[in-house]
Amino acid sequence: MTAVRLPMSGARVFFVGGVMSYRALFSWQSPTFYIPTMLAHPAFQILFFAYLGRFSHVRNDAFYVVGNAVQVSAMAGVFGVAMTIGGERWTQTLAPLLATPANRMALFLGRALPQIANGFVVSAFGFLVGRLLLNFDPPLSSLPRLALIVLVSTAACTGFGLVVGAFGLRLRDVFIFSNPAYFLMLLFCGVNVPLSALPHWMQIVGSGMPLTHGIAAAREVAAGASLSSVSTLVWKEALIGACYFLAAYLLLRLFEAEGRRRASLELV
Amino acid sequence: MAAIEAEKLRRTYRQTSGFVRRRTKTIEAVRGIDFEVNEGELFGLLGPNGAGKTTTIKMLVTLLIPTSGAARVLGHDVVHSARTVRRNIGYVFGGDRGAYERLSGLDNLRYFSELYGVPPKVQKRRIPELLELVGLMGREKERVEGYSRGMKQRLHIARGLLHDPPVVVLDEPTIGLDPVGARELRNTIAELAQAGKTVLLTTHYMYEADALCDRIAVIAEGEIVAEGTPTALKSVVADRTVVEIEAYGLPAGALERVRASPGVTSVSVEEREHVQLLLVQAPKGLELTQQLLGCLGDVRVGRVAAREPTLEDAYVSLVTGS
Repeated sequence: MTAVRLPMSGARVFFVGGVMSYRALFSWQSPTFYIPTMLAHPAFQILFFAYLGRFSHVRNDAFYVVGNAVQVSAMAGVFGVAMTIGGERWTQTLAPLLATPANRMALFLGRALPQIANGFVVSAFGFLVGRLLLNFDPPLSSLPRLALIVLVSTAACTGFGLVVGAFGLRLRDVFIFSNPAYFLMLLFCGVNVPLSALPHWMQIVGSGMPLTHGIAAAREVAAGASLSSVSTLVWKEALIGACYFLAAYLLLRLFEAEGRRRASLELV
Repeated sequence: MAAIEAEKLRRTYRQTSGFVRRRTKTIEAVRGIDFEVNEGELFGLLGPNGAGKTTTIKMLVTLLIPTSGAARVLGHDVVHSARTVRRNIGYVFGGDRGAYERLSGLDNLRYFSELYGVPPKVQKRRIPELLELVGLMGREKERVEGYSRGMKQRLHIARGLLHDPPVVVLDEPTIGLDPVGARELRNTIAELAQAGKTVLLTTHYMYEADALCDRIAVIAEGEIVAEGTPTALKSVVADRTVVEIEAYGLPAGALERVRASPGVTSVSVEEREHVQLLLVQAPKGLELTQQLLGCLGDVRVGRVAAREPTLEDAYVSLVTGS
């Protein structure tokens, strides 16, 4: 009997596997959960900060709508991704999953794909809430540019979410990281407080976080700026996102190897 | 070449406890075991809970790294050639967890087909074949959360065979199944062996090992204490007789008195609903019944019978070291 060599399709694991894992593990996908968590929560977050801003006369509605509408993509990018990796432990599917020869990059990074789309939808809904309920009225011609920046930011945020999710291979409960990560972004990424108003060390941390540059670019574009004038910010956002994806992949490999060594892969 | 080889395979776990004063305890789950499974053989790894069966299996399927020693599957080292090993091995475990409950049985199989790199054309043929084999055809589009325990375990078997692996490892696949479900699963396992696959089965059900396995290794406290065909293992206790005594409420100390009784080589107790079944092994030809009843004192006794030893008696004798 000879060893079997099957043609491995990393692309299929990435795309088909990514969608399957979303369906299998993203437990907020039914309307009962999706509407309160992915639509109502972001809407209330936007309204809360916009009215707080109005009350304190610090910034106009557009500042808060853009900042929060981009940041709420973290509901999918951080919580959703953490759920689709950490969920393997709760469903006790981590052992059969890691017993497969599937390409680990395709296996785990493919899980980000549906969440990028999901995050984009959540973010778009946030902008719609701002348009309908607050004084946010960007020029129509800015919308394609805004959409592109939101997409890049959402992808970068999902890379960060994968880093958080990677701890699902190391810890029993990944939400101990995903909850603070969400609020960390709210504070450090210039969502409601301009980066320049933060202490220096927070500015340094914020400039290395996803969304920071995307939010800054989105604010300028929503005010009518061209894409070329914010291209540096957009490229920075994309580069930071790529770094997080790479870090996530390395962490996932490290924690898988460590789990095999420490026998911690199946602890629930 | 052997399909599965274990050489001085050892695995220890470190457990820590305490918050301020951390204490570390090392547990030796598998203590340097050696065994080989030949190609096409159905090999049983038999042992009580905590004996090291599952730890051994997890090292073979690459989920655990051995502390020392080596293991190979079709000549591939489980540590250094983990990906090749994974391509060649199907891993099936017992219990009703381990499948994606929100997906249908069919989607679970489709997903794992992708992970095992089964081309879409092959999937279209193989998934229905496997659904037929495990008796899930017709229920494959239902969500797994609605499956019975037996259906989930049969789904695990189908999943383990998606990539048509030459080696299949089954870790207590019939645990918790009803008798009919367990029998059907045993038939499926026998069919795998007939199809030429190398099967490594762990179980603590003696009749299962006796009925299915070509060879058995008995593992206790991380060490292999005996290895051979079921007939050869039974011969360990061929010179013994087994006395079965049904007792209603064994008093304290009775078991110790029976164990210390002259001629008694091994004693075990099976707890049943309202009765304890005492199984006493003694050399053949030695009449012990009255002596044993005397040890039990005033306890109400039901059926008393002497019989020939079975594989289970051999197993008890081996794992208790008597």
